[in-house]
Amino acid sequence: MTQRNTSLARRMAQALVACAVAVSMAFCVGVALAPAGAQALTTNKATARPNEQGGDGVIGGENTRLTWEGTVDAGEQVESITLSLPEGASFDGSTTRITVLEGLNRVSVDGTATPAGDTLKVSFATPIPEGSLLRLEVTDMKFPEAGGDYAVGGSYVNQAGQTEALNDSPTVSVIANTPLQRVVTWLDGQAWVSAWNSNAFLGMFLKPQLIVTSLATLFPGWLLCLLIVIVAYPFAIALGLAFAFMKMSRHKPVRAIAIVYINVLRGTPLFLQIYIAFFGLPMLGVNINNTILGIVVMAINSSAYLAEIFRAGIESIPVGQYEAAASLGMNRSQTMVSIILPQTVRRVIPTVTSDFIMSYKDTSLLSSVGVMELMMFAKNLTTVSGNITPYMAAAIFYLIVTLPLSKVVGNIEKRLAHAEKGTGPRPKTTGEATENA
Amino acid sequence: MPRKKHVSVDIPEVPPALSAEEAAARAYEHDKPLTKHSFESHEHPIVRIEHLNKSFDETLVLKDVNLDVWPGEVVVVLGPSGSGKSTMLRCINLLETPTAGHILIEDEEITGSGKTDVNKLRQNLGMVFQSFNLFPHLTAKENVMIGQTKVLGKTKEEAEREALVQLDAVGLGDRADFTPAQLSGGQQQRVAIARAVAMHPDVLLFDEPTSALDPELVRGVLDVMRDLAENGGMTMIVVTHEMGFARDVADRAVFMEDGVVVEQGLPENVFDHPENERTAEFLGSIQAK
Repeated sequence: MTQRNTSLARRMAQALVACAVAVSMAFCVGVALAPAGAQALTTNKATARPNEQGGDGVIGGENTRLTWEGTVDAGEQVESITLSLPEGASFDGSTTRITVLEGLNRVSVDGTATPAGDTLKVSFATPIPEGSLLRLEVTDMKFPEAGGDYAVGGSYVNQAGQTEALNDSPTVSVIANTPLQRVVTWLDGQAWVSAWNSNAFLGMFLKPQLIVTSLATLFPGWLLCLLIVIVAYPFAIALGLAFAFMKMSRHKPVRAIAIVYINVLRGTPLFLQIYIAFFGLPMLGVNINNTILGIVVMAINSSAYLAEIFRAGIESIPVGQYEAAASLGMNRSQTMVSIILPQTVRRVIPTVTSDFIMSYKDTSLLSSVGVMELMMFAKNLTTVSGNITPYMAAAIFYLIVTLPLSKVVGNIEKRLAHAEKGTGPRPKTTGEATENA
Repeated sequence: MPRKKHVSVDIPEVPPALSAEEAAARAYEHDKPLTKHSFESHEHPIVRIEHLNKSFDETLVLKDVNLDVWPGEVVVVLGPSGSGKSTMLRCINLLETPTAGHILIEDEEITGSGKTDVNKLRQNLGMVFQSFNLFPHLTAKENVMIGQTKVLGKTKEEAEREALVQLDAVGLGDRADFTPAQLSGGQQQRVAIARAVAMHPDVLLFDEPTSALDPELVRGVLDVMRDLAENGGMTMIVVTHEMGFARDVADRAVFMEDGVVVEQGLPENVFDHPENERTAEFLGSIQAK
C-alpha cells in the first residue's frame, strides 16, 4: 500500500513538474512570439496627400504632405521619434505639425523637427504620455522619384532613454516621377492649359497633358504595329507573287486554287479573318503567340490583294516586250526575271504602297483580339482617363507613317507618268501590228 | 458573255518538205531570174518557206506561200495592209505558229515536229519591230547587252564592248547610257537594230521598221539598214513601204496580197513594169502618197 502510495505521490509530483515546465515554456514561447506586446508605440497609419493635378496619385520627387499616426501604449512615454523612408526620399525643407490626443482631448506638446535627408527626427519638449495618439503632419516632404510602394519606418526613444524600433507603416503608393511626369506636372501648372481644357471640345479631344501621356504610352503599340506590318509584308509580297503566277497559269486546277484563294480573302472582311484565326486555332489546340498569328493573318490577307496587283501589273506589260525578249532567244523565265518583272515592279510600286498603307491601318483590327498594338493602348488609356485624347494621339501615330508614304506614292506616280512619255508609239503597237498582218 | 464559238478551219493538205538538194535546185531555177543575188555554186537557201498556211480563227491569212531566201540576199516584202506579210515574217521565227506548211532554216525544219529549240532558233533570227519594243527599264547599252549576257552567256565586259561597237555602228555611240524614253523614235529603232545585230544572227527580219516613225527620222534608220545590207552582207527580209530603199538596196522585191505571193522579181522590174494588175494598183497608190 505504502509502496503504492509512494509511487502515486511520485507520479503526481512528476506530473506537476511536467505541468510547470510546460506552462513556463508556453509562457516563454508566448513572450518570444509576441514582440508586439513589447511595442509601446504602434504605428497606425501613414498617408500622403495626392499631389497629382487632376488625379489622386502621389508623385515621387514632388512636394507632398505625409501624415503619420501612432498610438503610445500603456506604460510608455515617448521622448522623441525618428521617421525614416527609403533612400531618395527627402524631408529636407519640410515643416512638421505635431498633434497629440489623449482620448478626445488635445494635449499641447511642443517639439522640434530635424529633417536629415530621408529621416526626420522629432524631439518633444515633454514626453508624449501613455495611451495617447500621436499624429505628425509633415508638409513639403518628397517621396523617392523612382516611385513604388513605400512604408514609413523608424525608431523612437522612450522615457527610459531606450531606443526602440517602429513597426513599418502600411505602404504609400507613389507614382514614378519621369521626365514625362514632370512635363505633365508643368503643364498642370500652366494657365493656358487650364484655359484650353476649360473648352469642352479641346479638353475632351486634345487635352495637352493627355497628349503628352498618350504619345509616351502608345509608343510601344505603334512599334508593334510597324513590326507586324513590316514583318508581314515581305511574306505577303512573296505569297502574292506566287498566287499572281498561279492565276496566270496554263493549268486549270492551279488557276482554280489561286482564284478561290484570292476571291475568298478579298471577299471577306479582314475582321472576320482575324476572328476565325484567333478563335478557331485555339479550339483546334493550336496556340500561337498573338503577335505572330497577327503577322500571319495580315500577310495572308495582303497577299490576296497583292496577287491581283501583281497580275494586273504583269498583264499591263505590252506583248511587244515578250516578243522582243523572245526574238533575242530568251526563254520564259529569263523574260520574266530580266524584262517583265523589273518593269512590273515600277508600275506597281504606287499601288503596292497604297496597299501597304491599308495594311498598316488595318493592324488596328488586331486590338479586338488582344494584340497589344496602338489601338489597344489607346482604348485602355481612354478607359482609364475617360478622355478621347488618346484616340487622337493614336491618329497622330497612324498619320506619321501614312502621310509621308502617300506623298511618296504621289511622287512616284508623277515620275512614272513622266518616264512613260515618249517611250515609242505604244498605243499603236499591238493593235496595228495584228491589223497589218 | 458570248459563248466561245467552235472554230473549224479546213487545214490545207500540204506535201512534205522537199529534200535539201531538190529544194535548192528548184529554188535556184525559180529565183535566178528574179534576184540580184550572186549565187555561189551548190548554194542552198538559208530560209525556205514551202506551202505556208496560217489562220487566225476562221480567217486564212496566209495561203500556200512559197519563198526561198538566199544567204546574203536582201528581200523586200511589199503589200497592202492585211496582206499577210507581217504574219509571214513572224512565222519565220515562230512568233506565230504556222497552221500548215514548212519553214526550214539552213535546211532544218522548224515547223511541225515540235523538236525545235525555239529559243536557240531565235538567236539566229534577229527581229526588228515596227514599234521598236526596246526594254524601257534599261539603257540603250543595256538593251544591246541583255541578249548577249542572258542568252549567249557572254561576260558583262564582252557584251558591253560589243554593245558599244554596235551602237557606234548605228551612230549612237554617244547615247549608250540614255534610256529609251530619252531617245527619239528613230534613235530607238536604231538601238533596236543594234540589239538584234549584236546577237550576230544569220538572218535579220524587219517588220515595217520605219512605219511608226516621223518622216524626218526614217532616213537615219534606212541608212543603218542599207549599211548592214551593203557592207555587212547580212541576209535580210524586210517588210516595208519604203520604195526608195527597196529599189536601191533590195536584191528582190516580193509583192503579197490577200495571203498570197502575187509577184516577185528584181525591184526595178516589179516597180517599173509590174505584171500583176494588183501590184500596179498598189504601187500607184503608194507613189501617189
